[in-house]
Amino acid sequence: MYTLNLEYMIGLVPVILGYVPKTLAMASAAMVAALILAAVLAVFRVFKIPVIDQLVALFISFFRGTPLLVQLFLFYYGLPQVFASLASIDGITAAIIGLTLHFSAYMAESIRAAILGVDRSQWEASESIGMTRWQMLRRIVLPQAARIAAPTLMNYFIDIIKSTSLAFTLGVTEMMGAAQKEAAGSFLYLEAFLVVAIIYWGLVEFFSFFQRQLERRMNRAFAR
Amino acid sequence: MFKSLIAALALSAASIAPAAADTIRVGMSGGYFPFTFVEQDVLQGFEVDFLNAIGEVTGDDIEFVTMSFSGQIGALESNRIDTIANQLTITPEREAKFVFSQPYVYDGAQIVVRRGNEVGIGGPDDLSGKSVAVNLGSNFEELLRELPNSADIDIRTYESNIEQDVAIGRVDAFVMDRVSTGQVIAKSPAPLEQAGEPFSEIRNALPFRNDEAGNALRDKVDAAITTLKENGKLAEISEKWLDADVTQPAAETVPAE
Repeated sequence: MYTLNLEYMIGLVPVILGYVPKTLAMASAAMVAALILAAVLAVFRVFKIPVIDQLVALFISFFRGTPLLVQLFLFYYGLPQVFASLASIDGITAAIIGLTLHFSAYMAESIRAAILGVDRSQWEASESIGMTRWQMLRRIVLPQAARIAAPTLMNYFIDIIKSTSLAFTLGVTEMMGAAQKEAAGSFLYLEAFLVVAIIYWGLVEFFSFFQRQLERRMNRAFAR
Repeated sequence: MFKSLIAALALSAASIAPAAADTIRVGMSGGYFPFTFVEQDVLQGFEVDFLNAIGEVTGDDIEFVTMSFSGQIGALESNRIDTIANQLTITPEREAKFVFSQPYVYDGAQIVVRRGNEVGIGGPDDLSGKSVAVNLGSNFEELLRELPNSADIDIRTYESNIEQDVAIGRVDAFVMDRVSTGQVIAKSPAPLEQAGEPFSEIRNALPFRNDEAGNALRDKVDAAITTLKENGKLAEISEKWLDADVTQPAAETVPAE
């Protein structure tokens, strides 16, 4: 019967917690960049701008159709063989760029669906008072689309937090990398990975709580 | 504007001129006990002490960059790091690409099995039909593939944690350098034992890029290694981490490749 080395686990908690800011910084940077990129991609698709629309569709298809780990490796280990200048990009930056591209593809689809989910009458009403297409989008449609898309986008943020754990494969010492190295010295794999799992779990629960609060507030105006 | 131009010029001049104290960026995995590992967030081990000792001799700052072992060669090529301190074995393929310092560890390839050796492995010949774990991109993968019976060996490459998979019986054996297997067996709770004698002599050294700056750095570091061998510091580091001096060629001549 295996007994968990609790003393070791308790000692490891502050060490792994020390890497939480790094994980959250990576996740937040990727989230913000992915949101902006996704909004732009979604608008291109909604307005069906020729050529660009097809290119965006291809982009989304690729980044949804291949695993994130493969994309990270392509970008960090593969492309620098062709473009030497890419070799100067460090692991953290590469991970953030990879997460941004990957998740922007998913988010673009949610945002597009949300925009199309805004009632047709809203567009017509804005048009009747002489707004341009961009004005309608910015003032009338996007704010309403944001409410529809918010829960899904929060889910993607939680996904991004968990996906930052892949950055350790690019040599970034984040929470997972730190746990991996501690385990290599102590040989207490179960303990090290349990600690890191529990801390991820706590982080996600923390953000899920905020997600629920936010949804309640956003829907208050629509309560019947 | 003008000021920053001057500063930039000064910076580039500094990077060309042999500065009094350079920073040597050293790649290591941080996951290879007892050479490079982490305890309570402190990077330590044989390689860490060894490189710091080199820094003391040359007067350079040593900056450790931890990354997965399989990514280190690429990082050295692309100038993300200046050398690799991860028990890198000198091989013809690697010599074609990089310039090496003199060897600082002499070792052998060792098969390790679960305690009790129920799989009955006594040497490389017995590996036929068995599954063997090795670290991805390591020289031991090469050594296994060069064995006459390699076609019958199920070689599995890992990024890390190979001893764990042998201990829980997921693979039959793993191959690593003899010295660290001794340490892993002694320090880890995992039930493991060495199977048979080391089957290939290996010499480990520090690689550098084969360009002007890389060669200059190699010469400087190589001189420092000579100093550390002569003043007993290297033997001391070896005794501290490995309970043995593995920094000299073995007396008994193993047929070298």
